[in-house]
Amino acid sequence: MIDGFEGEPLAVAMVAADQRILSRSFRFHRPRGLMCDTGQCGWCECEVDGRPSVRSCQIPVRDGLVARSEHAWPSVDRDLFGWLDVGSRLIPPTFYHHRFLRPRALRKRYLDVLRGFGGRGRLPIGRPPVARSRVERALEVDVLVVGGGRSGVAAAEETAPAGSRVVLLEAAIGRAQPRHPDIRFLEGAAAVGWYDGVVTAIDDSTLWSIRAGSVIVATGSYERVPPVRGADSPGVIGARRVADLITHHGVLPGERAMLVGEEADLAAARAALERGGARIVAAVPTSALRRVLGRRHVIGAVVEHDGAERRLAIDLVVIGDRTPNLDLVLAAGAAVERRDGVLVPVLDEAGRTSIPGLSVVGSAAGHRASASAPTPTGRALVCFCEDVHADEIEAQVVAGYGDPELVKRRTGALTGPCQGKYCLQAFSAVLAAAGVEGSAAQGDLPTARPPLRPLRLGDLVATEEMADP
Amino acid sequence: MTLPSTADVVVIGGGICGLAAARELAARGAGRILVVERGYPGAGATGRNVARIRRMQLTEELCRVAMACQDKYERMGGELWSNVLFYRLGYAWILYEPDEVDRMREVVAMHARLGIQSALLSPAETLHHLPVFEGGEPVAGSVLSDDAIVHHDAVVWAHLDHLGRVAKDTVSVHPHTNVTAIERDDGRVQAVVTDRGRVTTPVVLNATDGWSTEVNAMAGVRMPNRPRRREVLVTAPLRRTIEAAVTFYRPSEGWFNQTLRGEVVMGAVDPDEPVGVNQRSSWAFLRRTADLMTRKAPTLRDATVIRQWAGMYDITPDHLPIVGPTAQLDGWWQATGWSGRGMLLAPYLCELLAEHLVTGSPPEMLRQFLPDRFAPADDGERTETDYYARYGSALASARRGPASTSMSPGNTTSSPGA
Repeated sequence: MIDGFEGEPLAVAMVAADQRILSRSFRFHRPRGLMCDTGQCGWCECEVDGRPSVRSCQIPVRDGLVARSEHAWPSVDRDLFGWLDVGSRLIPPTFYHHRFLRPRALRKRYLDVLRGFGGRGRLPIGRPPVARSRVERALEVDVLVVGGGRSGVAAAEETAPAGSRVVLLEAAIGRAQPRHPDIRFLEGAAAVGWYDGVVTAIDDSTLWSIRAGSVIVATGSYERVPPVRGADSPGVIGARRVADLITHHGVLPGERAMLVGEEADLAAARAALERGGARIVAAVPTSALRRVLGRRHVIGAVVEHDGAERRLAIDLVVIGDRTPNLDLVLAAGAAVERRDGVLVPVLDEAGRTSIPGLSVVGSAAGHRASASAPTPTGRALVCFCEDVHADEIEAQVVAGYGDPELVKRRTGALTGPCQGKYCLQAFSAVLAAAGVEGSAAQGDLPTARPPLRPLRLGDLVATEEMADP
Repeated sequence: MTLPSTADVVVIGGGICGLAAARELAARGAGRILVVERGYPGAGATGRNVARIRRMQLTEELCRVAMACQDKYERMGGELWSNVLFYRLGYAWILYEPDEVDRMREVVAMHARLGIQSALLSPAETLHHLPVFEGGEPVAGSVLSDDAIVHHDAVVWAHLDHLGRVAKDTVSVHPHTNVTAIERDDGRVQAVVTDRGRVTTPVVLNATDGWSTEVNAMAGVRMPNRPRRREVLVTAPLRRTIEAAVTFYRPSEGWFNQTLRGEVVMGAVDPDEPVGVNQRSSWAFLRRTADLMTRKAPTLRDATVIRQWAGMYDITPDHLPIVGPTAQLDGWWQATGWSGRGMLLAPYLCELLAEHLVTGSPPEMLRQFLPDRFAPADDGERTETDYYARYGSALASARRGPASTSMSPGNTTSSPGA
């Protein structure tokens, strides 16, 4: 039982109540807490009012809401399965390949036991059929802008005066409205796919299928979790989320903070922390970070300073680095390239991708991608959903399974609930470092798979197509 | 890397079919075997299916074949010394129409005769065993068997691993190799031309399933199988809840099951899917599947879709694969037209194919699948889409009672898609 302010996100209320561990990772039950600012990382998933794997940072608190932890026993704080992580080296992703065959009579029993380790949320049995609350609508427009941040709004305003039909999609509610009256602003509508040139989107009342003469991607960027051991511990939080916690929710996520990344990306978080009374213990470039300490919560960090390793006592790591959101670009099959260790879309001077009619603006184009991203090595995690370590990816290459698609299949990297948003960059960096060359237009990347964000089956149910007014 | 200039057998296609054929040919000393694959091993339907290994079929002939196929899988882990995660999850046909239940009484009796564990469940028993259907469209019953699933990728790696260890000197697998032409002379295969060189060979095996029409055309061979897209979606992992792989055929065709990790894979078939190779995912599929599944199993409304993909079915007019040589071209062998059952059938039928190739005569069980049951002029447009209608004649004879036990293997082939 915790108290929270009505309307504030559930995950924020839990952090405010000092519940730092919000979920456990799938394979090794590593503790995870609030991290991203957009509901994309999935580290805050728990069962809410009987519905499995709900991202609690996106759910407003209300009286009587029941949240339960998943995939942990006896509790998410004290999860006995957490011990699996100690033996993670003995359980590589391919652990079953030549095992569990003897004795023959026990083969099914082995798999029964393995099956017991699987699964996350509980499927509630016997729910009533879905009420068809949504309608399906098709739109034909001249310009579609995906993402209502600063660059998205600017791009929409720029195209609107030409007398064209412009639609602006923004997944969040409460962002700045575009001023131009001819822009059709679909607030709360999240783009979920690119299907043969049609962008689909979903909001509370509608499933949209939008065909546009020109699609402008302004979807911004994702946090880049530092490529070191321990960087997934509760207490490692994106700079924007840190600023938001303090400024909008009055929650101070730590007393002694370390800022990681470029100063420009961290300014807002720094100001908020100082205002909130936290001490900034250090600000270091990502390449100087060696390790984050503390399993259940951050208790320190090891950084390199003047050639020597130094240990800092901190309880908060603020992530400044961000990488471009490539979701739509990859779904459309547009070319990307590696620049300074970061995958960015290949664009001409006008911001056009290799796909006709598709262009990218703002940080989704990689303009602000932090320079020289270090590549994870050894036991640093690459994929957080499946707990895939860098050395496990390298091992696939050594074993002759270096094709990116095979690495994906053999390790499970890129296939978890974050859908690759938080591991794609590191995954491709590790493969590039291991000498794997991609021949496809998308470089060394496995095929992007829709949808762009997780969708409840029940949310995809809608009444028949309606003509748009 | 360029290819060797000669081989005894060139296998085109590095999916389960091509790899299994290479394994069986190597085991029989068929000489130097080259497997060429356009993508990565398992890039086609092999890496995109959900690997249900089902003995329970609608006709006795198919049941007999499927039993041998499942045995092959059950032994596979031990034989290749790699775990393919063979697991008896159970398999259920969910029935929604009373006349389906009537048909199934005879089918279940036929299963019993063959030694397949299956049972006809009442609506209440169905909901008890599969509570996921609670609150959904009322079921008329179900047929439940103890059939199995495997991990499709693990099957591919088991084969690759095995070939690398046991047949290193005779079998080589060449991924990312495109076949650009087939050379023929005097009605015989001469060579396979690829973007990595030309290979002279007396025997070519077309194991490209969805792409087989294309590859057959390069050799001037005409077959009636045609590719059609099928789509799949997968949810985030859930605690074990669904204790069988589920399929329903009427009034619309759909299926789902939980993997060992807990994800639910599912799909709803579009009966109007056009002919042609198309591996792109569609929004219509997501919508169709969500509609169908939440109606039948409302519990699934809370499952979260995290990924969808598409793969090819290579469908023949009689929904039986095309396995063996053809009189159209000497040395041209096929193992194609799997009609959505390649994962189940390929390892065993490729064993029979290898036997045929090495001994020169087809094993009895292979006869019903020989390519020349179709005339070269067959255009593939007779494909029957209704599941039961495909088995109409066989089911009708099953209804006549014990007479069906005396049906000889092979006689369904004369009534394709009746």
